[in-house]
Amino acid sequence: MEAWLKALFFPGFVFLLIVFLMIFYFERKVLADAHLRTGPFYVGKWGLLQTTADIFKLFQKEFIIQRRANKLLYSLIPFVAFIMVVMLIAFIPFSEGSWVVSTSFDLLIILALVTGMPPVFFYAGWVSRSKYSFIGGLRVVNQMISGEIPLWLSALAAAVFFGTLNFMEIVKESSILSFLILLPAFLIFITATLIVTDRPPFDIPEAEQEIVYGFLTEFGGFNYAILALSKLVELFALYSVAVILFLGGFKGPVLPGILWFFIKLSFLYIFTFVVRASTPRIRMDQLLRFCWKVLTPLALLNLAFVILVKMFIS
Amino acid sequence: MGNSIATAGYTFVVEESKEVSGEDLGLLQEKLLQLNWGVQHPASGPMRLKVWVDGDEVVKVDPDIGYVLRLLEKLVEYRTWINAIVNVERACFIDNFGTMTGYSIAAEKIAGVKVPKKADYIRTILCEGGRIVSHLIGLGSFVGVLGVHTPMQWALIAREKFLDAFEVYSGQRIATASIVPGGVRYEPTGKFIEKMVTAVDFLENEFIPRYGEVFIDNPTLKVRSVGVGKVSKERAIELGLAGPALRASGVSSDIRKDYPYAAYGELDFKVITKEEGDAYARYLVIWEELIESAKIIRQAIEGLPEGDYRTKFPVKVPAGEAYVNVEWARGCFGFHLISNGGTGPYRLKMRAPSFANLWAIPEMMKNVKLADVPVIFASLYMCHGDIDR
Repeated sequence: MEAWLKALFFPGFVFLLIVFLMIFYFERKVLADAHLRTGPFYVGKWGLLQTTADIFKLFQKEFIIQRRANKLLYSLIPFVAFIMVVMLIAFIPFSEGSWVVSTSFDLLIILALVTGMPPVFFYAGWVSRSKYSFIGGLRVVNQMISGEIPLWLSALAAAVFFGTLNFMEIVKESSILSFLILLPAFLIFITATLIVTDRPPFDIPEAEQEIVYGFLTEFGGFNYAILALSKLVELFALYSVAVILFLGGFKGPVLPGILWFFIKLSFLYIFTFVVRASTPRIRMDQLLRFCWKVLTPLALLNLAFVILVKMFIS
Repeated sequence: MGNSIATAGYTFVVEESKEVSGEDLGLLQEKLLQLNWGVQHPASGPMRLKVWVDGDEVVKVDPDIGYVLRLLEKLVEYRTWINAIVNVERACFIDNFGTMTGYSIAAEKIAGVKVPKKADYIRTILCEGGRIVSHLIGLGSFVGVLGVHTPMQWALIAREKFLDAFEVYSGQRIATASIVPGGVRYEPTGKFIEKMVTAVDFLENEFIPRYGEVFIDNPTLKVRSVGVGKVSKERAIELGLAGPALRASGVSSDIRKDYPYAAYGELDFKVITKEEGDAYARYLVIWEELIESAKIIRQAIEGLPEGDYRTKFPVKVPAGEAYVNVEWARGCFGFHLISNGGTGPYRLKMRAPSFANLWAIPEMMKNVKLADVPVIFASLYMCHGDIDR
């Protein structure tokens, strides 16, 4: 397939849009199940089109810009955020042949782009010129910087073990043994992912009961949809990286590769949703203490452990 | 009330009217930021807390109420003795039986009417049903402010069963207007008792095990709420806290036990107290009272006597006054009722527990983190309708 066709349809834009609508639907259904409710039901078969309808509702809303806000930045930031996270997807191999770009530095590029997100979200809060948005923006920076160090360290552990940063090679070399050795790194990576992407119980920058909706407070309609979607894409990309690094990517018996990829991914997502349904949000100072006193030292120890193992294996 | 910061003896100066603009944001570290936590806020309800924050630390909190003022006390003066209950019960729609019982007992005291025993028992059953309904919502909203909506959904399922029972009894699910001076308004049919037993069965066999497994002793919940908003025993009495908030500080105060009314004197139940006095203790008090209330309902249904459920209440009540306290879901609710010999109350003063709890907020929220504001607020277990009346 031509590269631009890949980028547009599979595994590019259209494919991802459908995947995200389904993930959103899936989240609502799993949450509804935990709540003992039915969840989306009426729009489409089993409510499958409910999320699509919601997105269309957001698209037709009025484009409101706050009077005090910086108009140019305010309209631009959602698209900047979206483009930054969509670039992440281009490097992810969903199966043997379905990837848009493959370089020798896949992992490095993805981590670098994720590290670039906090300023974007901080600007989103800052240009709104609202107190809640501003506090939300500060919290994003605080939280993401403390979450990214364990994220990098645990991803580096995998990179050290496989000796490469290219995703295709990592998937080829992965095995049961690599899964077992990298299990601690996997757990750290998942926790750090939840922190970096503001998922519950670490949804401190969007804590509804404290600061309304954090840096998203003043955004509405299309802008909101794009910003919220970019956060979802970030989570999706990091989970995909977790599947590739630690769970063997698209490898698996009988079924085609792409199905295996999404089966593994959906397990991670179910974990996220169940955590969301049962774990209260923690406080900023508690999070910082957890990140710097528990998660980062553990990630460092784990890196040392993986380097030791690597010494004996090679 | 207004802005009392200048009169409260604080040394800093707050420029309230100054808006945050982009140019000033670099200097925010040195400035206090006033957040309006309320009126239009996901967790506040119809009231406002002015919160002055220094970074993430709360410096001062000033409650601003009055957004749901309905002048219920004044409206009562235009009603007859019987139909004044529709105003009284609207003090808070979540548990309306407690307020109706208190008003009815006060009116009966002035008129010298003796209520049949059966009415007392039905009042007890309804009051405890209302308490369970209220406590369920209290539990749900406490965990709800921490971003988890599962408990609220589970609580609402259990609450529906009780509302079904109230509907069978009075035809209404929430504003039942079913307890009147002179007894209760409707005959308690077999179907009502059956529905109530079903609801209690559901609560005890389904809700309590399921909820207790996940949200009691939840480690993250403890991390967030243990030691937050601590009030000592002496300070709780000084502040005039009421209800679960008072009992969580170790004060064993329960009107049902201290000055029994309705059928509480003949039933066996215990007063839940905790020594810690923090948000988690208040949450546990609500939880354990829920279990205790289910037991009271079972006892009252077993001991339900035969006989009349209502006696005649005079149209004109002789002049006099009465003060009655009842243990409402959110604490001790006082009714000071005055009659001048007319067909309706001359004056009614309602002493509301949520209003008493509200004024502990400025003290409890000093030097806490911004994230603790909703936790303390929810743990005090207030109802906005009750604050304003």
